[in-house]
Amino acid sequence: MDAVREALDLVRPQVARAFPGALAEDFARACREVASEAPPGLVLAYARGAPAMVPFVGREAALALAGMVAEVARAAGNHAALLLAGAAPIAARMTADAAAFAIWLRAIVALAEAGAGPVVSVLGRTESLLDDLGAAGFARWVREGLRATEAAPEGRHAFFVGDSAAGRAAQARAAGEIGLAALDRGLGLFAAALWGEMPMLQAAAPGADGRQRRTSFMGPVVRLPPAFRGVAAEDAVLLYRASVAHVMAHRRFGGPRFPVGGLKPLQIALVSLIEDARVEHLAMRALPGLRRLWLPHHVARPEGVLSASSLLARLARALIDPAYEDGNPWVEKGRRMVAAASPEDPAASRRIGNLLGNDLGQMRVQFNPRTHVVEPLYRDDNLGLWDFDDGGESDLDAEALPQPARHVGEAAGPSPSETRAAEAGRARAVAEESEIGIPVARYPEWDHLIRAARHDWTTVVEYAPPAADPHALAALLGRDHVLLERIAALIRAARISRPLRLRRQAEGEQFDLDAALTAAIDQRAGLTPDPRLYTRFVRRARDLATLLLLDASRSTDDRIPGTTRRVLDLEVEAAALFGRALQRVGDPFAIRAFCSNRRSDVRYYRIKEFQEPYDTGTERRLAGLGGQYSTRIGAALRHAGAELAARSTYRRLLLVVTDGEPSDIDVVDRRYLAEDARRAVQDLARRGIDVFCVGLDGGGENHLARIFGARNVLHIGRLERLPESLAKLYFRLTGG
Amino acid sequence: MTLAEYFITAEPYYRAVGDEIALFEAAYATRMPVMLKGPTGCGKTRFIEHMAWRLAKPILTVACHEDMTASDLVGRYLLDSNGTVWHDGPLTLAVRHGAICYLDEIVEARQDTTVVIHPLTDDRRVLPLEKKGDLIPAHPDFQIVISYNPGYQSVLKDLKESTKQRFSAIEFGYPAAAIEAEIVMHEAGIGAGDAARLVAIGERSRHLKGHGLEEGASTRMLIHAGRLLAKGISMEAACRVALILPITDDLDMREALSAAVGACL
Repeated sequence: MDAVREALDLVRPQVARAFPGALAEDFARACREVASEAPPGLVLAYARGAPAMVPFVGREAALALAGMVAEVARAAGNHAALLLAGAAPIAARMTADAAAFAIWLRAIVALAEAGAGPVVSVLGRTESLLDDLGAAGFARWVREGLRATEAAPEGRHAFFVGDSAAGRAAQARAAGEIGLAALDRGLGLFAAALWGEMPMLQAAAPGADGRQRRTSFMGPVVRLPPAFRGVAAEDAVLLYRASVAHVMAHRRFGGPRFPVGGLKPLQIALVSLIEDARVEHLAMRALPGLRRLWLPHHVARPEGVLSASSLLARLARALIDPAYEDGNPWVEKGRRMVAAASPEDPAASRRIGNLLGNDLGQMRVQFNPRTHVVEPLYRDDNLGLWDFDDGGESDLDAEALPQPARHVGEAAGPSPSETRAAEAGRARAVAEESEIGIPVARYPEWDHLIRAARHDWTTVVEYAPPAADPHALAALLGRDHVLLERIAALIRAARISRPLRLRRQAEGEQFDLDAALTAAIDQRAGLTPDPRLYTRFVRRARDLATLLLLDASRSTDDRIPGTTRRVLDLEVEAAALFGRALQRVGDPFAIRAFCSNRRSDVRYYRIKEFQEPYDTGTERRLAGLGGQYSTRIGAALRHAGAELAARSTYRRLLLVVTDGEPSDIDVVDRRYLAEDARRAVQDLARRGIDVFCVGLDGGGENHLARIFGARNVLHIGRLERLPESLAKLYFRLTGG
Repeated sequence: MTLAEYFITAEPYYRAVGDEIALFEAAYATRMPVMLKGPTGCGKTRFIEHMAWRLAKPILTVACHEDMTASDLVGRYLLDSNGTVWHDGPLTLAVRHGAICYLDEIVEARQDTTVVIHPLTDDRRVLPLEKKGDLIPAHPDFQIVISYNPGYQSVLKDLKESTKQRFSAIEFGYPAAAIEAEIVMHEAGIGAGDAARLVAIGERSRHLKGHGLEEGASTRMLIHAGRLLAKGISMEAACRVALILPITDDLDMREALSAAVGACL
């Protein structure tokens, strides 16, 4: 306890201020708690740091820190704990809020539990990280980092130190609070509403130097930064809108691309600026409210060092803001020239830009094309305005452009999780790549930890289903013909359609007016009235489209305990029975199968189309199904749902047959895919598609109930139970 | 019975967009059945009311619905103290007394119901009353007009080919911006500037048709917004209440529309 007394002596005045009177005893107790775990140096660090936190986050947080310091010392060593004691006052000052501080502290403890290296590095950068990310963003970033490196802890250090692209990208995402992924649909709709044209929005990959990319456009593709660093959520939405509106103004009012010719970088920058102002002017003439979107970003002021970049920013402001006054003769000249030119004429932009460029050259102000950044932030890098004689990618031409405009056309590198998956190497019977698939769609995936969808995360790839001899299957079904009849009868009895009114019924909810009148007339005429006086509503016709989605993953290749048959055999047989029954009834239905090999290859087999009859061809393809790869069910559900959504029937049913828990080799978290699938099912339900799961007993009961809802899962152990299950299913569908 | 209450006495405001008035007058001159096609709220009903006023003919409007039967159109026996009495339906009334019979949203009625108009729409121009055993020749002034919104019904709900081919058609769309502004201005009683802004907003929403909106904001909706505006509601609030909230439940779509409204002001 000497260490504690010593430490308290050293910081007596601070402690007295922060913990006056009897409260000092609480603080001494907290110091003893640290001392019980750690060397004297740590106690001193805590005793120094904690009182400084009190004005920002209160005494309780300062006292609670003791326990956390001790815990970090246990988990990640004394050095990390020492850093925490030093970083906590900084974090307290920056968050200035007990709740936010607690969030930061929890994230630090979680990180410490994962090892010493990352937490030491992160604590060393407390100030810049909190400045960039805020407490909530920081916690999100830590969570994402921990999960991303779960499978490969050796990459953890790189992620948190900032050496890995994944870490930087995650940091950018967390910093923006809200990123493109969350906004892009709304932005597309916004652009379409303004100009009647839906742009193709893409996230620009971060630059090699980790710098934030500018917006750029090339043809119909508009690339936007995945997040604007350091911009709060509500401002980010407006900034994205401003960016999209600006690019759309180029698309709408821009002329053909300018040939670069012999222009100098400064002239290119100026011509671009004048052209920016010109298209914005035209856009605002049609939609005056756009000025409110753009103007707040023009913050240049007529002061400070005269450099080309600052003059350009001032000219940009002068051209959009009539109320702005800038005493600089060059800026005013630019304003006059633009005002005198016809706004409809793109060539004027080039002419004025050239002239102003010459003037600026004579003023001998510095212009460095490598460091010049187009101002303000919402404007694009202007690459899309220029036509390079030889197709645009020669070094010379790229040199001619201001630096931030350069990295546009490059392809996105391998994504973090792909590399991760490769590193993880827990491949589960990866089969030889012999088939060639066609990528047909991309879908988001829901991450339950960060509680956000990962945009365009999965790719659904269609493969031609392999065919096999259907005789064995046909023979099997031949034995089942009694079963088949029962199923067909059940399906036929299920009535799924719009309600129809039946007239002249012997019983019903309402009088049939015409029948009642006839009966009354008959009565008066002395005839026997017809007793069928009522009308009622029934569902008579069937108007239902069904898509049967079969799980063809590796696990379905396993034998069913106690038999010689595979799970997949059971699935195929059930599908064939159901198919034959539906074919008799004449309902439109399709059969699909899926498996997955990482998120980039969710395999989708089209066994039967809605419009084609169920025949031996279908059974050939059914028989050819082999169980391979994994079960990324969410992506398959979304794709099947999209197909069903295009059907115009009254009810749409997605029937999933699977053997259990979703999994894939690039996912470690067992809950992740299940939560994603749950989300997919909810999305489909919102779109009016009924999703129903037939689970073939594989022990994954809880997962299926969680994904589909307990009411929407049926477990079948033996094929003989299928008709019974189908009856239940249709009972539910008809709401009976 | 002279259908006195079915005459339109005051001129219904209608701003002609093209030659539709001349076309309709020509069709009426030969009593040709006319089909008015176009999206909801673009002025089909207003147009036919205006034409009835212009031609000084009574007009009987029937809003068609799924449960409508031929009796609802043609008429039926009802009971009174003396026994049964035949009661003409709207179609029969129009046929007997020479009115324009306007069947609004005809596809909502079942196809077998609409077949009763067939004998009226070819050169026979008669209406058989099956229950009464009568055959009513159409009054010389009688004309049948139907409206039809080609966009929203499903494949199940379409006119029979044999029905379609009995009609001439006049197509309606949303009017050009300047004309639409004039209409909104007149109907809502607002200034030219506000009307033009509302029309620009309407145009933004129509751009989203096919991107998640079934249909953009109709002229009728713009007029609603304009009327709120005339009562002192702000433009943003009027657009939210009269345009954005009714038209979609999709949050992204609402946000995008709100932002687009902001861009127009």
